[in-house]
Amino acid sequence: MSSSQILKGILEGCLLSIIGKGETYGYEMIEKLNDYGFSMVKEGSIYPLLLRMKKEGLVATHQKPLPSGGPKRKYYTLTETGEKELIEFKQRWDAVSKSVDRLLEEEG
Amino acid sequence: MILSKESQDFLENLRLYLVSSGKNESESEEIISELEDHLYEAEKSGKNVEDIVGRSPKDYMEQVASEMTFDRKGIMKYGGIIIVLAFSYLLLGDAVRGGIELSLLEALGYPLIFISFTLLTAGLFRHLASSKKNKTKEWTLIGIVGMTPILLFLGLIYLNKVIVTPSVTFSFAANVIAVIATITVFVITALWIKSLVTIMIPALLYLPEVLLGFTNYGEETQLLASTIIMFGGLFIYLLLMGRKDVNKTGAL
Repeated sequence: MSSSQILKGILEGCLLSIIGKGETYGYEMIEKLNDYGFSMVKEGSIYPLLLRMKKEGLVATHQKPLPSGGPKRKYYTLTETGEKELIEFKQRWDAVSKSVDRLLEEEG
Repeated sequence: MILSKESQDFLENLRLYLVSSGKNESESEEIISELEDHLYEAEKSGKNVEDIVGRSPKDYMEQVASEMTFDRKGIMKYGGIIIVLAFSYLLLGDAVRGGIELSLLEALGYPLIFISFTLLTAGLFRHLASSKKNKTKEWTLIGIVGMTPILLFLGLIYLNKVIVTPSVTFSFAANVIAVIATITVFVITALWIKSLVTIMIPALLYLPEVLLGFTNYGEETQLLASTIIMFGGLFIYLLLMGRKDVNKTGAL
């Protein structure tokens, strides 16, 4: 199983967490993901996901002009539903990761 | 620094793909400008378009499109206008050339041809936007799609002769009303889209013929003159329009 297959289901939770740390835009999310070691995430793949998250009401967007002038940039913030979803994701992830860790440790 | 040619091409193709997939225009513009921003930042750090969207632009476009809503209201609006406009052109042509005679087959057939041609064109654009460039194949496809309405029109004209369906022949008064109605359609759309194009095209197509009909020149001279004025006029008009567009983008 490749990393991208494992990631598929949890990328949404990771984006919720990143956006939850303060309003941010697409490129910055990728940079932050990279900082945390998520170099396997294809950069463009976050946008279809962000579109879906917006449709589901998890995130809200607004446009802000760049300090350097130029075109406007789209910023994301969490909605209330998004915050709740993030808490739920943390709980689910906690349970899953603990179980996986326990299982894999035993093998070693 | 400006965006590389590859990135610009990709964004243009994405726009074409989303529009011809019937996606909402403002939603499409939003995701395109977001990706433009991303590509701009990515290129600053030495990445290219393939690093962002992956090997297959087609897969990526499909992925983006699948998360966007189909703009049914917009499609109905534009589709309806196109059908009404196209039908008006046909009716006006008939009305000035000796009166409208419309059979049931034509009344159903023409809109069907417009709709199938529109769907076919949308499919073609989607394909052109997402597939790898191959000039020969592209022009063959464009040729086939371009020929289809002509073949369908010919087929309809033939069928109309073979199969007799109930038909109406417009009286003089009805023709006058049809002319007024179609011209109203052209004027309203011109006001709505803020462009004279829907008035200029039918005017250039039909006015020379009608006006020359009032002169005493022989039929052949009339035909020749109206053809020359029509094509010359269309050519000059389209040339002027093209120049105007260039100026507009130049000013930005």
